[in-house]
Amino acid sequence: MEPRKDLLDIASLSMEEIEFVLKTAGPFKELFTKSIKKVPPLRGKTVLTLFYEPSTRTRSSFEIAAKRVSADVTNFTVSSSSVVKGESILDTIDTLQAMKCDYVVVRHGAAGVPNMISKHTKASVVNAGDGFHAHPTQALLDAFTLRETFGDLVGKKILIVGDILHSRVARSVSQICEKLGMEIGVLGPGSLIPRARPEFMQKFYTYDEALAWRPDAIYLLRVQLERQNDQFFPSLNEYHKIYGLTDERFRQVEGEGTWVMHPGPVNRGVELGDDVMTYERTLINQQVENGIAVRMAVLYWLQPETN
Amino acid sequence: MSNGAYILRNGQLAQEDTPELLGADLFIEKGLLKAVGPNLPAVDGVTEIDCVSRVIMPGLFDAHVHLREPGREDKESILTGSEAAINGGVTGIVAMPNCTPAIDSAGMVQSVLDIASREARIPVYTTGCITKGRLGKELADIGGMHARGAVMITDDGDPVGNHQVLRRAMEYAREFDLIVASHCEVKELSGTGAMNEGEVSYRLGVPGIPAASEEICISRDIRLAQLTGAHVHIQHVTSGEGMRTIERFKEDGIKVTCEVSPHHLFFNETHIGDYDTHYKMNPPLRRVEDNAILLDGLKRGVFDIIATDHAPHTDFEKQLDFGSAPFGITGLETALPTLYQNFIKTEMFGWDLLVKRYSAEPRRLLKMEPVEFKEGAKVDLTVFNPDRESVFTKEFMRSKSRNTPFLDQTVQGHVEMVILGEDVLLDRLQK
Repeated sequence: MEPRKDLLDIASLSMEEIEFVLKTAGPFKELFTKSIKKVPPLRGKTVLTLFYEPSTRTRSSFEIAAKRVSADVTNFTVSSSSVVKGESILDTIDTLQAMKCDYVVVRHGAAGVPNMISKHTKASVVNAGDGFHAHPTQALLDAFTLRETFGDLVGKKILIVGDILHSRVARSVSQICEKLGMEIGVLGPGSLIPRARPEFMQKFYTYDEALAWRPDAIYLLRVQLERQNDQFFPSLNEYHKIYGLTDERFRQVEGEGTWVMHPGPVNRGVELGDDVMTYERTLINQQVENGIAVRMAVLYWLQPETN
Repeated sequence: MSNGAYILRNGQLAQEDTPELLGADLFIEKGLLKAVGPNLPAVDGVTEIDCVSRVIMPGLFDAHVHLREPGREDKESILTGSEAAINGGVTGIVAMPNCTPAIDSAGMVQSVLDIASREARIPVYTTGCITKGRLGKELADIGGMHARGAVMITDDGDPVGNHQVLRRAMEYAREFDLIVASHCEVKELSGTGAMNEGEVSYRLGVPGIPAASEEICISRDIRLAQLTGAHVHIQHVTSGEGMRTIERFKEDGIKVTCEVSPHHLFFNETHIGDYDTHYKMNPPLRRVEDNAILLDGLKRGVFDIIATDHAPHTDFEKQLDFGSAPFGITGLETALPTLYQNFIKTEMFGWDLLVKRYSAEPRRLLKMEPVEFKEGAKVDLTVFNPDRESVFTKEFMRSKSRNTPFLDQTVQGHVEMVILGEDVLLDRLQK
């Protein structure tokens, strides 16, 4: 396996690399049951989180992961008001370069920013979400969670529900599931399912039709409430009725033993009803826990050029 | 050349009406073509310039360039833009009016032409806006701008969104026989899009601009030309479907002309690769198959002219993320060698097409005489060496900006001389 400097997306990863991360994350997760959860591989290294979009959960997950592999962590918050349309990104990179950080965890509202940063720094760049483009650690943690649940994933079916068009999670998750041999179904409002989508996405028109396909797992995407003004669908109420995992649909899902996933945070009453939150086959909390183990594995795997 | 008389010996003349190059000598005296033909006799005291294996063509004419003056002289100026033109073998250019402030009044037109007459060594023409401030609401000073010499009206960079405003502009401009040039885009459909909408934009996660955004506007503009009898010129066509619409209406005899830009022939959405902002322009690069459709349209004469849409931007701006970087690519200095390398050298089309579409027809479109190699004519020519390479380094280029994927690339063919009247504007002939 060639050393890799950056984790920018899922598409460019080899199977060997994906397997390495998933395999490495296992022992890291076992640490979480111990009283001392910290191991030393990144001792003396500095991880900087650079978030241009607010995200408490993802940043905390990376921060905890970095600390558990003994790295020093600094959070670099770029308030959106001080950044006019990304104008200072290259300047910021120069600053980071001068700080001699070894890993930069980036989140940005525009696609391709981590790619751009990676070209200008010796530090390893970890994409923590860029625009609609990619969210590779989310996909890796979901793959880890699916493996934990199902073992071999070949031939298993996952139904992704919601905003496929604008979702970096949907892009990265569907890519990794495809690489791992799963079948992928998509369901959502017509305005949010791109016509120019990958061929491996099987499109369903109704929830009934999608459930009749008998997915092993349903992956609910978060509805971006701020996109309401763009009129991709008439109302949240209608979304819930047609594309939500309502309490009524949940009973069918429960009967089938289908697993439910969500990248969080959930909008109750939109993507899902209340009942599903207490369902024993809802993997949302495992996803969060596994996120830390997988991000530890990612930091362990990547090779910065700062040495 | 001190007495203003010289002979360009053994050149190969490129002309619009024949694909064959014509071996001939050009006897030039005091900026006029005194004799044209093979084996002209040497004359005592007349300098001989050996142009063997060089292609000599009429000076090129680019009817769509952005000179950024006034307002963004950090990107380009009338001086540097016109020098860039000379560097590319172009001896006439038409400036777009999307400056700051916009060229939307007789005074602004006069001001641009005044600067041009002082600073540019080639004729620089200007367009004027259709609407005040390019805001799409009130008609600009169309009659006044026309009187000062504006050669077209356009809100280039933006469409006129309001159908009624555009209709009135067309009716009004028609009376002056003034062309209404149209940047075709439905803004509501383009939204925050930064590239063609399709599989590639989905994969990159970049908001897309559907081809329909351009196609709908092309249809609308031509239908309004049909309604009003005005001459509409569709700028920078990118989509095969849009081109077919134009072709059909042309067959119906509607007064519509159109242009294609070299970058839309060379490049497509796949070139964006890893978010390379050099390939971000509006209208955007479309699908792979559109390259071939547009080239076919150029060969069949659907496109009246080639125009570069030379759109300079600073390095700093082009180093922004893909979504935030401005739209545009420079073209004046690279068009001739790159068209040669991609299409003439490969025999996709001949020199006649290049001369017709990038020299003669643009001048005819603006009611000017095309340049011809005939005795008594004013000299206006470009000497091109197909056997010599061009390397588009920062030092080579005279534009203030270098937002082109050809930066630092080596391309076959080299502009060696540009002569206009008594002035040798460029001379780097390899002896």
